[in-house]
Amino acid sequence: MHIPDGFLSANTWVPAWIISAGGLGFCLKKVGTVLKDKTVPLMGVVSAFVFAAQMLNFPVIGGTSGHLLGGVLAAVLLGPYAGAISIAVILTIQCIIFQDGGLTALGANIFNMSFIGTIGGFYAYKIIKSIVAGNTGILVSAAIAAWLSVVAASSGCAIELSLSGTSPLRVALPAMAGIHALIGIGESIITCMVVSFVLKVRPDLVYNE
Amino acid sequence: MHHPYIDKYAELDSPIHRIDPRVKIICAILIILGIIFTEPTSAVSFICYGIFLSILVILSRIPVSFILARSSVVIPFVIMIAIFIPFVKEGKVAGAYSFGTLKLTVTYNGLVILLNVLVKSYLSVLCMTVFTASLKFSVLLKAFERLKFPNLLIMIFSFMYRYIFVVIDELMHVKQAKDSRTVGGGRLSHTKTLANVLGVLFVRSYERAESVYIAMRSRGFNGTINTLYDFRLRVADIAFVVIVLGFVAIARFSSAI
Repeated sequence: MHIPDGFLSANTWVPAWIISAGGLGFCLKKVGTVLKDKTVPLMGVVSAFVFAAQMLNFPVIGGTSGHLLGGVLAAVLLGPYAGAISIAVILTIQCIIFQDGGLTALGANIFNMSFIGTIGGFYAYKIIKSIVAGNTGILVSAAIAAWLSVVAASSGCAIELSLSGTSPLRVALPAMAGIHALIGIGESIITCMVVSFVLKVRPDLVYNE
Repeated sequence: MHHPYIDKYAELDSPIHRIDPRVKIICAILIILGIIFTEPTSAVSFICYGIFLSILVILSRIPVSFILARSSVVIPFVIMIAIFIPFVKEGKVAGAYSFGTLKLTVTYNGLVILLNVLVKSYLSVLCMTVFTASLKFSVLLKAFERLKFPNLLIMIFSFMYRYIFVVIDELMHVKQAKDSRTVGGGRLSHTKTLANVLGVLFVRSYERAESVYIAMRSRGFNGTINTLYDFRLRVADIAFVVIVLGFVAIARFSSAI
């Protein structure tokens, strides 16, 4: 889902950059008021964790393997704003160091994965959690939100590509959402299991407003 | 453990490596913007950029195999777009294929879109690889700081960079322990083990972050990091900016011919 340079037209990537830069500024301010001088070490080390977690491949049905996107996982453990920052930091590193995603498309990539995937995913998690109570509620809502976040982020990607005239929406949207509905199952299972582990070992580390 | 992920070729010495990091960042952005805003049909401009970037690659002494491997990241996206090409209906038809009842037409319009994104994304990746592979990440961050990027974000980046190796080391240790105790990895039943590995990693990372913070705090850290100013703009750097600007202008102008 890392859009390279050249796939988006200026009328898409320029607004996406502006929204993402502004949104990131807002998140930093929000996190700064809670963590104060703890922001830097905590966000740095935890971003390194999400980066490492994305390197670990897990088996998907049919002999293929996928890796974690980690948006909802980060949001459930760190809260929406800190989660969004760590995902944005990772996307930027992947863009600059690994050329995974383009420089002009970085704004759109951050918008899809940090804002739609992580913050959007967090609110999906929060809504479902308010319906199902207790630890089961946390696990069920983390699983559903993880699946939703992957599908929503990929739909965002398809919409941006169609706005740029790169691919028609009526084909791109079902195709992207369809593929990611399958990928999302793995994301959902692994997110649920990691959250369940943390709930057992350090329940205080699961984000609670 | 060995970490080949970052800064693999940053220690080489070449004319490209010696350019001021700030100049490199600005030039990379200039070239990418130049590539992005080129008309899809102006092949001459793309060839110009191709030649220019190839010269930079050769000058930088970074192995071509590395650059080729890096640029392969655009392939999945190109394939994805290629799949949609038959569905772009407008424009002159270049060829029609029928599979049983399903009839697909390929239009010139669709092919232009494919070629456009393929060339632009490839050239941009080439540009980014040359400039960032020749730069140490810590220096890159310092350059961003000098270019007045938000300080808080830069500090998060430098911390992440510092701890990426520590966290990955820890992950590799846990993974090795897991692999030596399980046979036939990659099965679905191992998912729970992997999830627990990630869970352990998270708890350990968080606890590490807390102790790092306490250690920093006890040494007088107050939320800002001060570094020495050690970049100096040389004549060669200014010359490089002029060359890049000239080249973007030539590439732009050549499309008008």
